[in-house]
Amino acid sequence: MTTTPPILSARDVHKTYRLGKVRVPVLRGAHLDVHKGEAVAILGASGSGKSTLLHILGALDTPDRTPSSQDIRFEGTSLSALSERQRNTYRATRVGFVFQFYHLLPELSVLDNVRVGAMVALGLNYRAKRPEVTDHAAALLEQFGLGHRLTHRPAELSGGERQRVAIARALINKPDLLLADEPTGNLDRETGNSILDALEDLRARTAQTLVMVTHDPAVAARADRVVSLADGQVVEAVPAPAHATHA
Amino acid sequence: MYQRLLTRRYLTSKVMPLLAALAVVLCTAMVLISWSVMGGFLKNLMESGRTLIGDVSINWPNAGFAHYEDLIQRLEAHPEIDAASPMIETAGMLALPGDRLVRVIVRGIDGPSYAAVTTYEDTLYWQPLEDPLPKDDARRDWRLENHTRWQRTFNNGLTLTEPDPATGEPRPAVVIGIETSGYNFRQPAGFIIPGIPLVPGADGVMGQLPIFLPDEKVTLHVLPIDSSGRGIEMVTRILPVANEFRSGLYEIDKQTVLVNLRALQSMLNMDEARRVIEGPAAADPFALGGDEADPNFEPIQRVEIDPARVTDIVVLGRQDDARLTQQYVLDVYAEFAAAHPDVPRADAIFIKTWEDQNATMIAAVKKETALVLFIFSFISLTAVFLVLAIFWAMVSEKTRDVGILRAIGASRTGIAWLWLRYGLAIGVVGSIFGLALAYTIVYNINTIHDWMGQALGISIWDPAVYYFTEIPSRVNHLHAAIIGLGGMLASTLGALWPALRAARMNPVRALRFE
Repeated sequence: MTTTPPILSARDVHKTYRLGKVRVPVLRGAHLDVHKGEAVAILGASGSGKSTLLHILGALDTPDRTPSSQDIRFEGTSLSALSERQRNTYRATRVGFVFQFYHLLPELSVLDNVRVGAMVALGLNYRAKRPEVTDHAAALLEQFGLGHRLTHRPAELSGGERQRVAIARALINKPDLLLADEPTGNLDRETGNSILDALEDLRARTAQTLVMVTHDPAVAARADRVVSLADGQVVEAVPAPAHATHA
Repeated sequence: MYQRLLTRRYLTSKVMPLLAALAVVLCTAMVLISWSVMGGFLKNLMESGRTLIGDVSINWPNAGFAHYEDLIQRLEAHPEIDAASPMIETAGMLALPGDRLVRVIVRGIDGPSYAAVTTYEDTLYWQPLEDPLPKDDARRDWRLENHTRWQRTFNNGLTLTEPDPATGEPRPAVVIGIETSGYNFRQPAGFIIPGIPLVPGADGVMGQLPIFLPDEKVTLHVLPIDSSGRGIEMVTRILPVANEFRSGLYEIDKQTVLVNLRALQSMLNMDEARRVIEGPAAADPFALGGDEADPNFEPIQRVEIDPARVTDIVVLGRQDDARLTQQYVLDVYAEFAAAHPDVPRADAIFIKTWEDQNATMIAAVKKETALVLFIFSFISLTAVFLVLAIFWAMVSEKTRDVGILRAIGASRTGIAWLWLRYGLAIGVVGSIFGLALAYTIVYNINTIHDWMGQALGISIWDPAVYYFTEIPSRVNHLHAAIIGLGGMLASTLGALWPALRAARMNPVRALRFE
């Protein structure tokens, strides 16, 4: 195993929620390193803070201000040093989110739901790149078996199809890191497996870095490496299976 | 770019934004319709106010001024002045048939020249009418029949004379404001029918007497005033009524009597007069006169002519701008005053535009228009709050969408712009349809009103009550543009707070929103 620096590294991450007058610490010094091309599963019970950690890694949420030792770095750059605008750009171009409940925009067609990610990232430049983006979106949807569903609305799709659209949207800007929050949590076993197969297939083709949180050990077992989140800390590291791909 | 896509999709896939747009439509239409009707009302009033006074008037009340024919000649020689006409204005009392006595403004006019300066001809009410008024479905207007009679009455009104039944010679007559007598009754169809009022008979018993003023005589009382402004002695004269006039201004039609200029000059001692001046020798009863060849000769008596006088000259300019005409009149009057030392000086005479003379009335209607606009605009603020309420609910409904967009990298500014743009789109759609609705209603307001009257029995604009037979309306395109922009601004303002709320949302909480 080489010692190349991780693409994403989280150190001593703390996050506390306030429920009325009660402070509920969710993360209490979580550490995590993710290497380029690696698929990491964060396994944890419901409410263990795994989604919170994922949101912080994706700059959708911020950790507590203290302690000062905590640090999250993406390709060596501290996320806390980024401006609001840079954080937006980071979310738009460097990471892609996949959520348990798909989170598609119901008024948009399948194709537009995928293209909207590019619209946000490109801003006014989208107009010039529209044909290119459309081709890329259509190709992604084709890869996920949705080539015939481009003009459909999310309400007209099955759960598995919606999640595939969500993955395609997350990939439209060719992100370095895919963050998946219980991607099969809302699907039956068979459909969930098809989603995991699709992700595995994607990784086999593109070596996409993936961080996935799940409460299901069977799902976590599909990753290269599994870490467990308990009491707000990454307390257990399960040895990676034989098919680990990182260098 | 995503804002454009989502605005379009949100607009076409939800009922709520259509309700917001409908609010903008109704408010925009309401303000433009009320502004157009009030604007039309003001315009009609102003045009009516100009009807009997021309563009500019030269006025020297009480004693009046002489040499007015020379002034008129000088005015009409000016290239920018179309016509001028002499006039006398004084106060008087008018005794009507049926023992009714009314206080009136008496105007002495020279019919033909007055008609050249004003729209006097058109105001003469009793004249042949070819087509009925728009609302006169049953053709009950008297003027539609017996054209010969009405033509004669019209000619009499124009010259303010009436042929003497005995000699056939024209004799001076009066033309009375249509509302002055109180014997005329406006009908819902807009025309006037002389009534049969209850009047006291010679025995003091009330009885009904059909009175049609152009068939009657009236008694006019006026008070001549000397050059110091003191009244001399009331002069009374019985004059036939040649016609009645309707200027469109109730205040004028209610209390004005037009009289043949020569007759009024005579009554007020303002006509040309011969004055006998006695020389020093007149005191000597035995004086025999003297040699006229002697340079020191003074006659016992000599006769001087006092020229006729008027109190006003009304002037019509060639240009529509009365202020310009006022300046031309001032210039001409200055030359005139320099040539005649016995007329008021140029810096003392009153030279006013028709707007100056009707300033109080115009200001009142303008203020009413402004007040109505203020009230309706204030009511239209409900559109802002309606949009705000609808957008607030929509932002709540779309909370998760906000979270999704933030998760894929949308900025807070981008989210705010999405909702502001959405509000603006609703404002644009609402304003366009609102203006279209207002234009349609204003251009067809009388047809719609007639239909409402026939189908629903609702009559808002009753010509028997209001002075104009038709609902006055005039769409000003600039006003329409202002209102349209106002509608867009109001809608955008209504969206502002919800937009800021959406922009401030915590994306994680927004994603978890159910």
